[in-house]
Amino acid sequence: MSPLVRQFRDFFVSLKLTVWLLGLSIILIFWATLAQVKIGIWGVQEKFFHTLFVLETIPGTAIPVPVFPGGYFLGGLLLLNLVAAHIYRFRLDWKKAGIQLTHLGIILLLVGELITSLRQVESNMRLEEGGTMHYSESYRNNELAILDTTNPEFNEVVAIPEAVLSDGGSLQHPKLPFQIRIRDYHPNAALQMRDQVPGAAPALATAGIGPRVAVAPLRLTYKQDERNAPAAHIEFVGPEGTLGTWLVSPLLSAPQKFDYAGRTWELTLRFKRYYHPFAITLLDFAHDKYPGTEIPKNFSSRIRLKTDDGRGDREVLIYMNNPLRHAGLTFYQASFEKGDTVSILQVVRNPGWVLPYVSCVMMGLGLLVQFGIHLFGFVRKRSAT
Amino acid sequence: MWGPAMLPRPLACAVLVLLLTSGCRDREITAYRAPKDPVAARPGPAASGQLPSDHPPIGNQTGGDATMANTAVPTGGDNLTWTAPAHWTAKPASAMRKGSYAIKDGDAEADLSITAFPGDTGGLLANLNRWRGQISLPPLSQDQLQANREHVDIGVLHVDVVDFAGTANGAPARIIGAVVPREGETWFFKLMGPDALVAREKAAFREFLGTVRPR
Repeated sequence: MSPLVRQFRDFFVSLKLTVWLLGLSIILIFWATLAQVKIGIWGVQEKFFHTLFVLETIPGTAIPVPVFPGGYFLGGLLLLNLVAAHIYRFRLDWKKAGIQLTHLGIILLLVGELITSLRQVESNMRLEEGGTMHYSESYRNNELAILDTTNPEFNEVVAIPEAVLSDGGSLQHPKLPFQIRIRDYHPNAALQMRDQVPGAAPALATAGIGPRVAVAPLRLTYKQDERNAPAAHIEFVGPEGTLGTWLVSPLLSAPQKFDYAGRTWELTLRFKRYYHPFAITLLDFAHDKYPGTEIPKNFSSRIRLKTDDGRGDREVLIYMNNPLRHAGLTFYQASFEKGDTVSILQVVRNPGWVLPYVSCVMMGLGLLVQFGIHLFGFVRKRSAT
Repeated sequence: MWGPAMLPRPLACAVLVLLLTSGCRDREITAYRAPKDPVAARPGPAASGQLPSDHPPIGNQTGGDATMANTAVPTGGDNLTWTAPAHWTAKPASAMRKGSYAIKDGDAEADLSITAFPGDTGGLLANLNRWRGQISLPPLSQDQLQANREHVDIGVLHVDVVDFAGTANGAPARIIGAVVPREGETWFFKLMGPDALVAREKAAFREFLGTVRPR
């Protein structure tokens, strides 16, 4: 083995690396905890953990500079270290079986966490009693939805993520007969009726409700129970010229409509929607209390799950710690609204959801086996003397 | 002995590829077919529900908080219905209004707006004074409030009706309005326009108020 390869192997396999990485992780987590005060949990996830490097900007400029390894870096290296050490020190010896199993479990846990952080999508479904939902909505991401509502049976939707709006510029989509020009965009803004804001700047919008509304940009909020409501002015341009400029914001309670090219259209900036190949109807939401008190005992939603292809139609009871698992999604009873007639389910898609369970079982088993072997050996030695 | 020079480049590459492929999805424009929204769909913000204090935390949020936040302009629900007189023309609904009508008479036009907001929106006095300000009238004090409003019971609804005459843009203007508190919200029915036109519509407005019902 050449000295270079040996150096590589020694590096990845070394216990010193593990200790270093764990130490750096402690510092990262501590730093992130302090930062959470100002930028909230989502900001911290993005800045410290879902990244290779923690970036800070050079003061006075907007140039980002890596200053510390981030979650993916430390976690990834830890994973590699564990796998390398596992392979290097692997002995097909049943006496080591316990340790092998435990280490494999930890590897699986790290891999599971990586999959979760990269691939998990969370959304929520707000159901009114008797109401049916085909989709769930993102907690934080918004999209500009342009709907062709001509057909009475369905809508043709073109959904443009908010990130594209913040990029600005113009775009064209093959399904739309007009070009989209993003005139301006604010990640968080308040809306007021123009007649209540005498000194407002002239309206950018020429169609829909925009001309009557004044937009006041706000600073981004990082508070967990507050929402950033973006606002944007969108202009549609057809071959004969502009169709008008609309103001869009999730604060507007209804989509704005217009006609063009013999079709009817709707335009709205809304929470990102995830449509599912099934529909959920809330039959009953129950909020049980301990008799004679106001202390909640149980929250449950009786729902009817009906798949679009007609093959599935069943009733399910979702309650605390008893989610519904269907089509790769998990539905948890998350919240409700006053009046006990509206239930809110949290919908999670996580392809790696099974891994933490498997890895915990493996680690538990591995430890049991390892301690069992030692115990056996010890007991046998004692009875031999 | 290893040192900083032996940084794991293969690892960085692998993770980078993973990151890039997941990052690109943020900007992907999608097109699909979707069922129509239910007609009575309320896109309103989900108010915070009270989870029990020992409810386990949900996902990566602290217990008691799986909400869609308070928006900057919360509006009320759809708890009331009404029947408008035939000669009132319905205007398209807007962001703030639950209902909107125009009453025309030749060149003159009056506007009827129906709005609802959560809570008591500052109280009856504050809202009446806001209306008075719109037609350049001095604000009422708390003692004058009683004399200037008429309390009417329409079915189960307690309604306060007011009639203010003032000026707007130099011409005589009038506001006839009704404030209806209902189930944690306050509804406002406001008829505003040129003095003569609104005075003529007063009877029609009272009749319209009589048709307001809880849904």
